[in-house]
Amino acid sequence: MLRSTLSALAIAGVLAAGGFGLYAYHGALPAITAAERPQFAPEVIEQGRILASAGYCATCHTAAGGAPFAGNYPIVTAFGTIYASNITPDPKTGIGSWSPEAFRRAMHEGVDAKGRHLFPAFPFDHFTKMTDADVDAIYAYIMTSVAPVEEETKAPGLPFPLNQRILQAGWKLLFVDFGRYVPDETRSEDWNRGAYLAQGVAHCGACHTPRNPVGAEIKSEAYAGATIDSWTAPALTAANPSGVPWTAADFTAYLKTGAGVYHGVAAGPMGPVVHAGLRELPDADLAAIGVYLGAETGGETGAPETAPALTASIAAGQPDPAYRLDQGARLYASACASCHYNASPASVSAARPDLGINSATRLDDPSNLIHVILDGVAANEGAGGTVMPAFRGALSDDEIAAIAAYLRADRAGLAPWPELAAKVAALRATVTTH
Amino acid sequence: MIEFKINGRAVSLDIDPETPLMWAIRDDIGLTGTKYGCGIGLCGACTVHVGGRPTRSCITPVKDVIGAEITTIEGLSPTGEHPVQKVWRDLQVPQCGYCQSGQIMTAAALIKDIPEPTDADIDAVMTGNVCRCMTYNRIRDAVRTAAAAMKEEATNG
Amino acid sequence: MADPRSLMPKRAPDGARLSRRGFLVSMCAAGAVFGFPKAPLAAMDPGAADGLPIEAAGGKFEPAIWYWIDGEGRVNVNIIRAEMGQHVGTAIARILADELGAAWEDVHITHVDTDPKWGLMVTGGSWSVWQSWPLYRQAGAAGRVALAQKAAELWGVDVAAVTVENGEVRAGARVAGFGELVRAGITQSFTEEELKALPLKAHAELKLIGKELAALDIRAKTTGETIYGIDAKIEGMVHATPILPPTRYGSTITAIDDSAAKAVKGYLETLALDDPSGTAPGWAMVIAESQWAAMKAAGLVKVSYALNEAAAGVDEAAIQAENLRLVEDEAAGALLESGNSDVAPVFAGAADTFEASYTTQTVLHFQLEPLNALVFLGEDGVWQVHTGNQWQSLCLPWIQTALGVAEDKVVMRSYMLGGGFGRRLNGDYIVPAALASKALGGKPVKMVMRREDDSAFDSVRSPSLSKLRMAFDGDKKVIAMETAVASGWPTKVMVPGFMPKGTNGEAYDPFASDGADHWYETGAQRVRAISNELAEATFRPGWLRSVSPGWINFAVESFMDEAARHIGADPLAFRLGQFTAEGRNAGSAPDAVGGARRQAAVLARVAELSGYGKTDLPADTAIGLATTYGQSRSMPTWVGGAAQVRVDRATGRVDLQKLWIVVDCGTVVDPNGAHAQVEGGALWGVSMALYEGTEFAQGLPRDRNLDDYTPLRMIDSPPIEIEFVPSTEVPTGLGEPGTTVVAPAIANAIFAAVGVRMRHLPITPAAVLAALKAQG
Repeated sequence: MLRSTLSALAIAGVLAAGGFGLYAYHGALPAITAAERPQFAPEVIEQGRILASAGYCATCHTAAGGAPFAGNYPIVTAFGTIYASNITPDPKTGIGSWSPEAFRRAMHEGVDAKGRHLFPAFPFDHFTKMTDADVDAIYAYIMTSVAPVEEETKAPGLPFPLNQRILQAGWKLLFVDFGRYVPDETRSEDWNRGAYLAQGVAHCGACHTPRNPVGAEIKSEAYAGATIDSWTAPALTAANPSGVPWTAADFTAYLKTGAGVYHGVAAGPMGPVVHAGLRELPDADLAAIGVYLGAETGGETGAPETAPALTASIAAGQPDPAYRLDQGARLYASACASCHYNASPASVSAARPDLGINSATRLDDPSNLIHVILDGVAANEGAGGTVMPAFRGALSDDEIAAIAAYLRADRAGLAPWPELAAKVAALRATVTTH
Repeated sequence: MIEFKINGRAVSLDIDPETPLMWAIRDDIGLTGTKYGCGIGLCGACTVHVGGRPTRSCITPVKDVIGAEITTIEGLSPTGEHPVQKVWRDLQVPQCGYCQSGQIMTAAALIKDIPEPTDADIDAVMTGNVCRCMTYNRIRDAVRTAAAAMKEEATNG
Repeated sequence: MADPRSLMPKRAPDGARLSRRGFLVSMCAAGAVFGFPKAPLAAMDPGAADGLPIEAAGGKFEPAIWYWIDGEGRVNVNIIRAEMGQHVGTAIARILADELGAAWEDVHITHVDTDPKWGLMVTGGSWSVWQSWPLYRQAGAAGRVALAQKAAELWGVDVAAVTVENGEVRAGARVAGFGELVRAGITQSFTEEELKALPLKAHAELKLIGKELAALDIRAKTTGETIYGIDAKIEGMVHATPILPPTRYGSTITAIDDSAAKAVKGYLETLALDDPSGTAPGWAMVIAESQWAAMKAAGLVKVSYALNEAAAGVDEAAIQAENLRLVEDEAAGALLESGNSDVAPVFAGAADTFEASYTTQTVLHFQLEPLNALVFLGEDGVWQVHTGNQWQSLCLPWIQTALGVAEDKVVMRSYMLGGGFGRRLNGDYIVPAALASKALGGKPVKMVMRREDDSAFDSVRSPSLSKLRMAFDGDKKVIAMETAVASGWPTKVMVPGFMPKGTNGEAYDPFASDGADHWYETGAQRVRAISNELAEATFRPGWLRSVSPGWINFAVESFMDEAARHIGADPLAFRLGQFTAEGRNAGSAPDAVGGARRQAAVLARVAELSGYGKTDLPADTAIGLATTYGQSRSMPTWVGGAAQVRVDRATGRVDLQKLWIVVDCGTVVDPNGAHAQVEGGALWGVSMALYEGTEFAQGLPRDRNLDDYTPLRMIDSPPIEIEFVPSTEVPTGLGEPGTTVVAPAIANAIFAAVGVRMRHLPITPAAVLAALKAQG
């Protein structure tokens, strides 16, 4: 009896493995030459450029100081460092020999032309939602407009057995819903367009959704916020701690300009998402994403100037002759107020941001604030064209901690962050890839 | 190469990208109106405008201003006749004058953002600029006066 | 000979503008090639956008070395003083122009470079206007007389009929400009005796003195065009920043490891400097192609030292402990002239005595332009020093010794100062720049100190201790007073020859004792000043705006309040009662006419102005008074001060709500500038009383930048009402006296408000809280 059960189990196991093997195995797709590529209409190429921007492909596929799309950008994961591949149309080291079908398979199924599973550091779990036409457009853009660069992609620094690509198949089986985007009939056209873009090419959840111990997005906590590269990607839900709730229009403006007047600016990893990314989308698409995300956060269009958090922060930011009593208040008045002071809610602007309502001072994690105090915001990120200077070489860990504590307590009016000075020291020592 | 615009002119500098903008302005470009006072962003003597915003150039590495538009005291007005500068002279604000480039740059931006500043507004924004000769009371007067003059000019066209 | 200015490039193709001075100097270094004079034109006119002084055109008449008039009628006044915000050039030029009868718009100023013909070149002590007053008036009178004489000759009229006014020389219907007369050739010259004997205009005839005039240096300070030492540049210069030894003296370099610095783009080398003058021992100098590279590299160079352990072990407590030991040692120190100084028997037989001690913490100059100097060897074999400096005469010999050259081989150019406050009296910072240039064969080295280094080796205001006692008879009348003051002495360390001898034959530093010899009648009086050699071995004590009158008056004027209250007297009435203006306190002409009477007047006036004793003030709020004279008995500016404070009992914070300052400085030469100096000086007083101060730790000041050294900012600045007493007496100084009344006025106000006596500066909220707590 036991023997037959065992053999039944063994057969089931073999069948399952075989089934898994069948599932997991992908064959190589034939290589093509440049001459064999299809012709692309200019509109399609342009569409591809916009979508490649919306997916900010270059940001992950370009190394610091490297040629665009040539790869070797290090993606630091909990499991080790993975190097983004060369997606220039170089036939030897890039995707120059890939057919449109191969490209589509990579985007939709996470399998490369050779049939190897791609590590989910590449967010094919999002790109799977994209239409064929959109994926083809990106292919068209890359093949015609990106300079081919010969650069070998470095092997991933993952320990055995995680570096075994075949295991990705199991991961996919467990965690990925493959397939094109399916509209939600109960929602508006705009919402669906926004959802299509956000869930698809823009892959917002890849940073903003927390992941389980094996690195898969936790679907039940979509957009609940997560850590990325020692920064915090805030929640894009009602749990977002901004002093003024995000509305659809706020998101649209933010994704177009990099500045949320009442929320903060696109800095750190979010910088290129806007400035080398989403802002290329047409206004209608940005509006649609706004509608989609606005529904997530549930922000009502109201008068942000009357938000209690803002009036409280403005009031607390009035000049105080007693500022010397607190080190943080004193340093803030000496170094920060000249740019960050506002006389009233009416004068708050992207160029004169109030820090009490800023997500950086309101998240449970002070990392974003500390990063910005340490290294500032460059002209090619944030609100664009303006900068926040860098205090890394100017202030000590204790001094930065004091300013952060002052902002947290006096301006945001929230519970203190623990062990701030240690946190500053740790982030100071962190070398980020952004 | 680090490229940006300064006082309307394009510059291209082959320098360490970590060079503070202040030193690039003073030594590599040769405009000495922007001053070194403390080097840690706490005195404001190095204040320039980046994208029109008052910015402490001693702690802004040049790599952060690639592509940006920078205005120094020399560029505030080609003839030195910006309303703020005129009022500064009328009220004889400067003593040694070393801090005044930064004071004027901060004041010019302040008045643009807050056209009718109260003394509290002026204190809040200008307290970040140190004047060791302690001309503060005159600076406050000058900001108030310049704001009124600029408002007058604006309403009269 | 071509005019070098015509070849000055307005803008180089890439838009970078070579500094005028840099071009001029480089032009002249190549002078031999182009046939220009070998000795470069130099000096600076802060009224010119490019800084260049005018040159005489069409002829020149120079009645005295202090100015010339040219064939175009322009009057160029030579200024030997450093411009550091006091608009000294304008003030002095005005004095001369008024006496001369020039039109103000024809007047230019030149801040001259060093030359023995100028005599002592120093800017400090609040002396400039006071010292220049007789000198430039005589010079102006000489010109006026010579012009009138020339016109009289030309027109054949009696010289008594000729007037010289507003740039015009008139006799009847005839009129000529200055230029016309100069072109006709004036040869009249004056001896010293003749100059001194010239009749000067009556006060009522003065037209420019006391009028509102725009200071000549101000325009360029609003456009970024003013050229400070830190802006100096010359073709071929290298940039430098020093690495300082761990102690001011006595630590020597044993090794330099610059391996990490080699990676810095632009880094060249690090020099170990050997200083024969002993001014700046143990310095290393990092040389690079840019200032940034030098500073970045300096952070990476590792220098090893043989440490001066003794100095490295000195902290503020040790210095103050030494101050205390010295003050308690009756045999220590110099005794100052103070009339009857035999106080011992009086104290012994007194019905009552009262005693208190006061201390002040280390104060940094923190002038906003960090110390810098550009030094190189000129083609003519003369070393050139380009920097802002307040005492050229003092540091030139140090530079000569350091370079090993004779007196005529070093010249210092004049630049505007981004703050002096006394720091630039001590030109020690020039020596390392000169040594670095010498080490590089005379190549131009532009040294800029990092702020933290400027502070570490600041010539700080020494920590100080003042101990005062007063004796009273049975009727509570003051019968004796004794003051002992101890601190590190700047003059002893840097210019010992300047120290006069006390009545006991011991030398004393006036800048460490002025203020103690007050103008109150106190019967027998003994004043003792003691030098703190531990301080002097650890750091280089400096002259810091208001010098000893700053800290000694904190003591004296706090003490007068305390003494008054001790005998149940009102502090105002008590003081006024002691200003008898008799004997040595009666004053003398020309500088101290009226003596204590004038001090009483300013005190009474400030009490009246502030509403002292009259206004109903809320709880914990009160007005305190103080009166001082600055800077010395030989040149007193009489000052009365009142401060209204509110003390916050919960935090100890002292809210300074308003200040009143009444000043009698004799003639007010430049009303706007006078107001500015008193206001700035008063705010320095506030800053040192409440907001700034540091301490020695391991032989160096502990707080070195604005994150932890916290001088007064705009929001700390109270409304200040300033009044000048109308006067025609000689003009006395204004740069410092305003500072001296503030700390004691605040301390006296605090006592009146909440009953605690603060005897240490700075007065911190923590200290006030502790005092309130101790009070119970």
